[in-house]
Amino acid sequence: MTDSPEYAIQVSDLVKSYDGRRRAVDGVSFHVRQGEIYGLLGKNGAGKSTVIKVLTTLIPPTSGSAMVNGLDVRRDAIRIRKRIGVVQQEESFDYATVERNFDIYGMLWEVPRHIIASRKEELIEFFNLTESRKKRAFELSGGQKKRLQVAREFIHDTDVLFLDEPTVGMDPVMRRDVLNFIREKVRDGLSIIFTTQILEEADFVCDRIGIMDKGRMVAEGTSRELKEKFGSMKKLSIGLTDPVPHEIAERISRSIELVGGITSITVTGREMNILGLDLGSNVKAIIDVIGSLDVSIDHISLDMPSLDDVFLEAVKK
Amino acid sequence: MKLPAFVRLTVRNVMVNTDPGTMFFMFGIPIFYLLVMGLLYQGIITGIPVNGVLIPYTTFLAPGIVGMQAFTAGNIGGGMLWADRRWGMFEQLLVGPFRRSEYLFGIIFLSVIFAIGGSLIMIILASLIKSATFSMSLLSYAYLIAALVTGTILFSSLFLIISIKARSMNAYSTITFLLFFLLDFASTAFYPITSNTPLPLRIVSAGNPLSYIVDVMRDSMVYGISYSTLFDLGIITALMAVVLPVSILLYGNVRTGIQ
Repeated sequence: MTDSPEYAIQVSDLVKSYDGRRRAVDGVSFHVRQGEIYGLLGKNGAGKSTVIKVLTTLIPPTSGSAMVNGLDVRRDAIRIRKRIGVVQQEESFDYATVERNFDIYGMLWEVPRHIIASRKEELIEFFNLTESRKKRAFELSGGQKKRLQVAREFIHDTDVLFLDEPTVGMDPVMRRDVLNFIREKVRDGLSIIFTTQILEEADFVCDRIGIMDKGRMVAEGTSRELKEKFGSMKKLSIGLTDPVPHEIAERISRSIELVGGITSITVTGREMNILGLDLGSNVKAIIDVIGSLDVSIDHISLDMPSLDDVFLEAVKK
Repeated sequence: MKLPAFVRLTVRNVMVNTDPGTMFFMFGIPIFYLLVMGLLYQGIITGIPVNGVLIPYTTFLAPGIVGMQAFTAGNIGGGMLWADRRWGMFEQLLVGPFRRSEYLFGIIFLSVIFAIGGSLIMIILASLIKSATFSMSLLSYAYLIAALVTGTILFSSLFLIISIKARSMNAYSTITFLLFFLLDFASTAFYPITSNTPLPLRIVSAGNPLSYIVDVMRDSMVYGISYSTLFDLGIITALMAVVLPVSILLYGNVRTGIQ
């Protein structure tokens, strides 16, 4: 086991360009503390998976530094790989049954047989693979394959776990169970980098979050910090008594835009969501605008923005 | 006991490949050739002339089937890279505690294990056939194993190259299927190549590495070791010395982690 430095992951000014032209990662810096779940968020092509691939030593960085548990990804690749677990975004499994996939993986990571046997049973049960245990992995559904991929990483001991969109294809119940399982493992000292496009997941499971866009880190902090950082922005949710026709919705949107400080307006059926700065002082003006169009309001609430809203705001800048 | 990484990868490769389909391909088809085709043809072929003496067809065929194990095992081994890339395990293993070279060794060792195991089974089965007679010495065993190992590495390398270059599953399957027929049937495995053989087939057979492997097997098991055995083994070794570095070079350039 490696000594535990302060940070499980330290990335400084990381650049990865393909063929010297396109920069998939462009000067990214962040760190992950020991025993922390760090969420890496971003749209498709934002550079999250490339960061993971550099950190898991699959591809070398073009410049900058990347350390995993105090080890350099360039110089200490094999030592890093002995102590990490990786759930890649793409499916990966051996052309064998579910059970055999666990046996093979455990053997590859030098896990003693009796431990493989006991962990395998626990994992098969927890990840709800009991009925499929004799099936070949390629016969499983997308969600089952992903469960197998995630479960397999817990057959061996790791210091840092990389989860690249691990819950894709899972039903909501299994997704929540897996996230709880991950949180449980973190209590045992595991550090995790977690990428997802489901922001509720990141909100639920991550201690800190980094938002990437076009290869750059555009925002970073805890979920609360991010909400506060973008917090001068508020979310006004208005429930309407009756659904409004499209033309009226358009008129409401155009009129409210004139109030000022509005970032976005969405009107769908009876729901109306308005994001903007200083909304608190503009609530009365907005209500008046809606009233002037003979639309009646059922309820109204002014909230912090959700992580979805923060994300959209961060990648828009 | 801690096993070296390449041994663990070899064990993994064996575990993955001991499925009924692969086992049938590795052992079932050759057993069919040996027992069904061999005995059926023996009923209509009085014998194969060797040095003025007629030898039973099964005696002639058995070394051919043993030699084919190098090709079949090489196909399974080299094809592992294709399967691992197809099922995402290549990258998964490379983010595990393994070096690229260890992955390659795992494939080559798998092929050699399958080739030796398969040959042993074929030799045992062939010696159970009443009409087939073989005379083997320590030297002939040494030649047999040397040809089997070099031949297997040669074919593993060839299939590794195909695994790397084939762009789709269809392309990979078609190329391996064509090679299977071309190399197996246009070799000396099933028929003697004589002056009566049509010239184009003689040329193909002479350029077919499997012919040289089979000739070493036949010398080792039936005719006896001579300078021509050494020459055949030299050809196989030389071919391996060319194809293996090419496959290693191409393998080294297989890119990972590209989206």
